[in-house]
Amino acid sequence: MPQPIQTFQLDNGLTVVVEPMPHLRSAAFTLLLPAGSATDPDGQSGAAQLVNGMVYRGAGERDARALSNALDDLGVQRGGGVGVEYTTHSGALLADDLEAALALYADIARRPLLPEAELDAERALALQAIQSLNDNPTQRLFVELAKVYFPGPFGRSTLGEVDELQRIDHAALQADHAARYQPGGGVLTVAGGVEPERVREIAERLFGDWQGSPPPTPQPQARTEPHYQHLQQATNQTQIAVAYPSLTLDDPDYYHERLALNVLSGGMASRLFTEVRTKRGLVYSVFAGPRLYKGLGLVLSYAGTQPERAQECIDVLLGELRRVSEGVTEDELARARTGLLAALVMQGESTGARASAMASDLFLIGRPRSLDEIRGAVDAITLDSLNRYLRQHPAHDFAVLTLGPAPVEITSNV
Amino acid sequence: MRYDQHVLPNGLTIVGEYNEDAQSVAIGFFTRTGSRDETPELSGVSHFLEHMMFKGSERRSAEEVDLEFDAMGARYNAFTSEENTVYYGAVLPEFQERLIDLLADMLRPSLRQDDFDTEKKVILEEIAMYKDRPQFTVYILARETYHHGHPLGNSVLGSTESITALQRDQMMDYFRRRYAPNNMVVTLTGKYDWNAAVAQIEQTCGGWAQGDSSRTVTEPDALPLERMQPDPKRDRVYLCAVAPAPSAQDDARYAAEVLAEVLGGGEGSRLYWALVHPGIADSADMSYSEQDGAGAFFVSATCDPERTTEVIDLLRSTLATAQNDGMSDDEIARARRKLASALVLRAETPMGRLVTVGFDYVYRRRIEPLAETVDKLLAVATDDVDALLRPKPFDKLTLVGYGPLAEAS
Repeated sequence: MPQPIQTFQLDNGLTVVVEPMPHLRSAAFTLLLPAGSATDPDGQSGAAQLVNGMVYRGAGERDARALSNALDDLGVQRGGGVGVEYTTHSGALLADDLEAALALYADIARRPLLPEAELDAERALALQAIQSLNDNPTQRLFVELAKVYFPGPFGRSTLGEVDELQRIDHAALQADHAARYQPGGGVLTVAGGVEPERVREIAERLFGDWQGSPPPTPQPQARTEPHYQHLQQATNQTQIAVAYPSLTLDDPDYYHERLALNVLSGGMASRLFTEVRTKRGLVYSVFAGPRLYKGLGLVLSYAGTQPERAQECIDVLLGELRRVSEGVTEDELARARTGLLAALVMQGESTGARASAMASDLFLIGRPRSLDEIRGAVDAITLDSLNRYLRQHPAHDFAVLTLGPAPVEITSNV
Repeated sequence: MRYDQHVLPNGLTIVGEYNEDAQSVAIGFFTRTGSRDETPELSGVSHFLEHMMFKGSERRSAEEVDLEFDAMGARYNAFTSEENTVYYGAVLPEFQERLIDLLADMLRPSLRQDDFDTEKKVILEEIAMYKDRPQFTVYILARETYHHGHPLGNSVLGSTESITALQRDQMMDYFRRRYAPNNMVVTLTGKYDWNAAVAQIEQTCGGWAQGDSSRTVTEPDALPLERMQPDPKRDRVYLCAVAPAPSAQDDARYAAEVLAEVLGGGEGSRLYWALVHPGIADSADMSYSEQDGAGAFFVSATCDPERTTEVIDLLRSTLATAQNDGMSDDEIARARRKLASALVLRAETPMGRLVTVGFDYVYRRRIEPLAETVDKLLAVATDDVDALLRPKPFDKLTLVGYGPLAEAS
């Protein structure tokens, strides 16, 4: 059974959160630092991406190869990456080796060598990732959708921009690391076969004397009117993306919105899958899901279909997104509730999933949500309260982006 | 962990790995059939049939199948490979009986004509989707080239033409031949009730008729081929290379895992240091794939078109150096450690164990306890890896390139 999650606040602003899973020999951790593409310095889009790669090219006493070998000697399964609001450095391994691994990550975050001789190699990798976008139309679609939806820094690609990446020199890289890799607002989460008090001691020793705060992340500013744009590309499938405003994780109505999204796009009996795929065979892939930022939430929806059926596909997709406001059935609510809670119980079996989910909660709302808390909130929702909420909050202001050989018509955009 | 096994009189085998600490149960129906068991006119039928299993039986409509999965809050799906088709779900333990009932019922499908016609469109969408994914395109080309006529080179998806031409009755005939109980294994992992599961499966599936679902297993004739497939629509070049490796039935497979990890197991591997770390290619990986009677190493890399020749040369020389000079004890030890750690982490969840446990039985007729697999991986010695390199497998490397190759120097 789940054990209580423990939270420790270090004096320097780093929050340490531990979920003990005593039956497991493994452990996972996530170090979250608020250094994402939204706070890339002006004119240096892609800086967080470069820093994220460079910190692994040697840290503390170790050069790149010695550092990599040390991580592998501990069997660390490496993870993490750059997002819009933050960068994560995460790993999973046997719990006995957690302390040694965290010592390496303290070097990576605090004492990277950032070797000047390797900056061009790291830059070459970043540029190639951008070069790959045309060959990955779905990824390109979502990179471009963010630009459409967020006119400001939140619209920046986490991959960066070619001309700006080329402008970042070694001094700029060092300055950016010094400014943004700071403990203030950072989070270290650990889940697995560990003692919370012991993790607190380790974190205090490795990170306690780290001082400083990164520049604040700006408030996300979204487009507030309906919008349609088409990107011309000779793809086999037309790629369709829709974004529209939703709620933040700390909104009192959040779980109403979350359950409604499960009705739309939970399992195979959900509305989008049933109407777009099962009944009409229009797609292989279709979904809608929440995308949460601190201070802003939205829904992202996707469908991919062959060009001759793109019009029918988008008509059905938008129709379903709108129709939810007419209400859901008792059975739909029951399935959405069961699906959401079962997924959480199963997430609770995995150290990596827990470490990552807690880090996200900490960043978004300043505390981890327990399974009991979510269960309570979800159980409190009735069919009446959900349908009242949906009636009062119809999906609106769709930002639609298509990518493919030809545009579509957006018949009626609310 | 506890291990369970039971064989029904009709040949259907039930195996389990019980984990008292789990909070869910994962259940999979494994069928030993895939694209290698198809004739050219049936190309893609295994995968299409996998989709059709979700379209209902005598007892359930397609909608009722979906509703039942979602009413349990199940995590569920299915996949088809060259040689296996697997239907699986994970649920909270209270839903064990309902999940078994649903999966067993699905696997006696009605294959109704209107469902067949609609789902055919979904399959054609899936084929179109993968045509937009060059990493996938090059992998399929490499498999086909390496196997040159051997059934392991058959495409899982089939082609637009083969799927369009496929008829419902051909699928039904294929189903009757391949989905015989003696060709299937039911696997349970996590917190299950064994006696209840066996009794229920016996009652539900005990009447399924046996059939002749044999498979001809031969080794492909590996040749050092090179094939460059130009596609000016691509921005980057995608490389995929294949070399012979131990089969799923060969004890050398643990050493093969370690060998692939040293050479191309992501960050810290030889291909990583040779190609990715210096920024010459943005990915370079190698994996070992166990298959029935014939395994393979797969190497893949992605690069700028102008650097194609340089990347191919470095890729080949990295493999050749390993083959000529062997590997150090340190590298072997690190690779073993990474693999063992990954295995233990995947075992945290019943879902993470299901396919490993199921394939253990499908390929080798024995469930290997997790601790034993870890021990065997950790016991792989430099000599074991050297023994794999001695016959010089990379001399038979088939290499395929795909992308804007006219621009490649």
